[in-house]
Amino acid sequence: MTIDVRGTVRPADTQQDDGVPERRTLRPRASLADAVFRRTAFAAGGITVAIMLAVGLFLALRSADALRVAGPGFLTEQQWSPETGRFGVGAVLFGTVSIGVVALVTAFPLALGTALLLSEVVRGRLRGILVSLVDLMAAVPSIVFGLWGVFFLQDNVIPVARWISTYFDWIPIFRVSDDSGATLTDDSAFTSSAFIAGIVVGLMIVPTMTSVMREAFSQAPVGEREGALALGATRWGMIRTVVLPFGRGGAIGGTMLGLGRALGETIAVYMIISPVFSINWEVLKSGSNSVSALIALRYGEASDFALSALMAAGLVLFLLTLVINFTASSIVARSRSGAQSEG
Amino acid sequence: MIRLLRAALVAVLIVCATAGSESAATAASYLPITGTGSTWSQNALDQWRKNVASNYGMTVNYSGVGSSAGRRDFIAGTVDFAVSEIPFQSKPEDGSAPEKPKTGYAYMPIVAGGTAFMYNLRIGGKRVTNLRLSGPVIAKIFTGVITKWNDPAIKVDNPLLALPDKKITPVVRSDGSGSTAQFTLWMSKQQSSIWNAFCTKVGRSTPCGLTSQYPVFSGAKAQNGSLGVAGYVSQNYGEGAITYVEYSYALKSGFPVAKVLNASGYYVEPTAEAVAVALMKARINTNEGSADYLTQILDGVYSSTDKRTYPLSSYSYMIVPTEVGGIFTTKKGNTLGAFTRYMLCEGQQQAAVLGYSPLPMNLVMAGSDQIKRIPGAGSTGIDTAKCNNPTFKAGDSPSKNQLAASAPYPPECDKKGATQCTTATGGAGGSSGGSSGGSSGGSSGGSTGGDGGTDAGTGSDDGSGDGGGTDTGSGTDGGGGVVASGAVSQTYSLPDPGMGPAQWMMLAAGVLLVALIVLPPFLSRRLRASRGSGER
Repeated sequence: MTIDVRGTVRPADTQQDDGVPERRTLRPRASLADAVFRRTAFAAGGITVAIMLAVGLFLALRSADALRVAGPGFLTEQQWSPETGRFGVGAVLFGTVSIGVVALVTAFPLALGTALLLSEVVRGRLRGILVSLVDLMAAVPSIVFGLWGVFFLQDNVIPVARWISTYFDWIPIFRVSDDSGATLTDDSAFTSSAFIAGIVVGLMIVPTMTSVMREAFSQAPVGEREGALALGATRWGMIRTVVLPFGRGGAIGGTMLGLGRALGETIAVYMIISPVFSINWEVLKSGSNSVSALIALRYGEASDFALSALMAAGLVLFLLTLVINFTASSIVARSRSGAQSEG
Repeated sequence: MIRLLRAALVAVLIVCATAGSESAATAASYLPITGTGSTWSQNALDQWRKNVASNYGMTVNYSGVGSSAGRRDFIAGTVDFAVSEIPFQSKPEDGSAPEKPKTGYAYMPIVAGGTAFMYNLRIGGKRVTNLRLSGPVIAKIFTGVITKWNDPAIKVDNPLLALPDKKITPVVRSDGSGSTAQFTLWMSKQQSSIWNAFCTKVGRSTPCGLTSQYPVFSGAKAQNGSLGVAGYVSQNYGEGAITYVEYSYALKSGFPVAKVLNASGYYVEPTAEAVAVALMKARINTNEGSADYLTQILDGVYSSTDKRTYPLSSYSYMIVPTEVGGIFTTKKGNTLGAFTRYMLCEGQQQAAVLGYSPLPMNLVMAGSDQIKRIPGAGSTGIDTAKCNNPTFKAGDSPSKNQLAASAPYPPECDKKGATQCTTATGGAGGSSGGSSGGSSGGSSGGSTGGDGGTDAGTGSDDGSGDGGGTDTGSGTDGGGGVVASGAVSQTYSLPDPGMGPAQWMMLAAGVLLVALIVLPPFLSRRLRASRGSGER
């Protein structure tokens, strides 16, 4: 937009030299190409927003039937049987969030380290190769991750889960016990858990998080970096005092973006978990659930009302991810790195 | 510019359209058809689809999404046919709306088979392949009443097995499935007290009948699709797991299935013959005016007193349209007619090898009448003289089943009592390293299952062996190993923690990751504090 105006401002500057105080109205006359470009850009942006709104509206309308029956208890009820009128997202939402948290715990350190490596340590061609490698990881379809999780990772990660539950069972979330409270050690107690699903989803969101963080870190001002180095900082000292504080917003934003994706991840979770409809605090223990997996599992055979209930679950997830993504973008925008990249 | 673009676009579209229609017209006279539904019979359908694609250039798309989803797709008119184990539910057990297709439909039996109990159990490191279970025990396992493999009730069924003190993991279907419906129908009819008690426990109304959605209960795993449940059982961590799945999945994954006790006191494996014998007692709805024409009533099968009966046998049905509607057209009816004609005759040849049982003559003839009702399928039925179906020869009477007539009687060691056969069951008899279970090797290995197992089982002795004699029980290392109790000492061993180098690496990585989060703020504060004090 500023480019449009500049062409007409300059003549005004020259006119002022003649001493004519008369103000000219600045009416930028856009060329045809500019007009077309502007309209297209506006249309594209507008349509995107409109589609988003339409999706939300559609979900809200379609879920109205179910929400009317379920009432506010929809958010707390754990059972899911729309046929009998007892259904809610309590357990499902808890499962979604627990898988998301495990995914973040796995992915955040990995992504932070990778981003720092790519922006600060490696240089030249190696860096290019690594960057495209990370991007390639983002292109791996989620069903491939799911298959890998089910047929390879699960088998190998069970001993680790058991080890954690053996030595850290004094932390409630790491305990694995049956209904009566007895500790379980069988392989079958550790399969299909939120932990395993979370690890797989975590690996899926690493690339997204890495690229956002790398972008933020690489924009740390050269002057400040050199200043830190000139004052005798080591590379780690420079990263700690300049790059990390500068990119904090980007790092948080990237993490939240990753979380948003983790919450919505469907197929890998669907393949790994064994769906249960009760809140399972023990993340290492078999059995979890997620909103998107529930929808994928049930929509094929759902009656009209059950479909409406699924839409309601979808609406809750939609709103949750919307809130997370808005928070993320506002944090990114308010941070130094984000502000600079927007300006 | 824009006009040019538009013109170009239109040109491209026209070229595409004409090219598309031309290739479709020249490639085959068969329009592609699409169906969804059961995973129970998917292995057979996939084989038939492959055959008609290579022999007749016919494209039949099929995706196994579960019987419930298949019926729903048929009602919505988004598929040309559906495959389901149970008919449309006019009064669904869970209280949801009745399933009523808008267009006409007919049921056509496509293949028979046994709902098998595939399991993964080891005794002293050797895979058990000759497990036997009676009806009440099965029902109790899948309702969480029996939770350990060394339960006395299982011991009664398996007098020669030294069953381990291991948790049983029942694996059920998480999606709406015809296998679940068949299994729960059997439970509701034959084990009603156990099943009703379970229904009360999980909060369903009693008396409860069949359900397509298996209620999850503590200790059970729910997995999606037949492949999902079979896949869970066949993994290393699936040890101690048991699931209900069509026999062919056990053959494919190279795992044994439990022999089930029938009404005359014999434990029988769901082979093609055992299923064929059992289904001689199925009552087929022969009222042509009925909406449920040709559907099955299986009470007679469950209680059949023939020694060779496998009680959980049933037919699988294709739901075919009898009116044009949805995406179904007369031209597609031509393809569907040709496909079903192939299926009922030639296709049945492969049923036994795949782990199913071929259809008998009366159902083939009834199916032939149903084909004529498909719009566009033509009025030619099936010529039974040229059908090439293994259950009948030209000139047979429709009620006869060659396969059932020639079915072998179970050996005396399979009779309920103090003895137990040592032959391997299901896919475990194959010589090609049972647990790997490649789909190609599995099916061929499975068909010769009984033989391989016999060889392997000859090593078992009369029980005089002591604890050191475990090795004599098995001739092969592949999973054909059969464990007889005489040769096994029952030792209690702690579960192997399984911490190999890979697992330690994972832990180390985990610790490093945690350190990476926790340490930097902590360290930097310490560093800053110490530096601050140093400067002062």
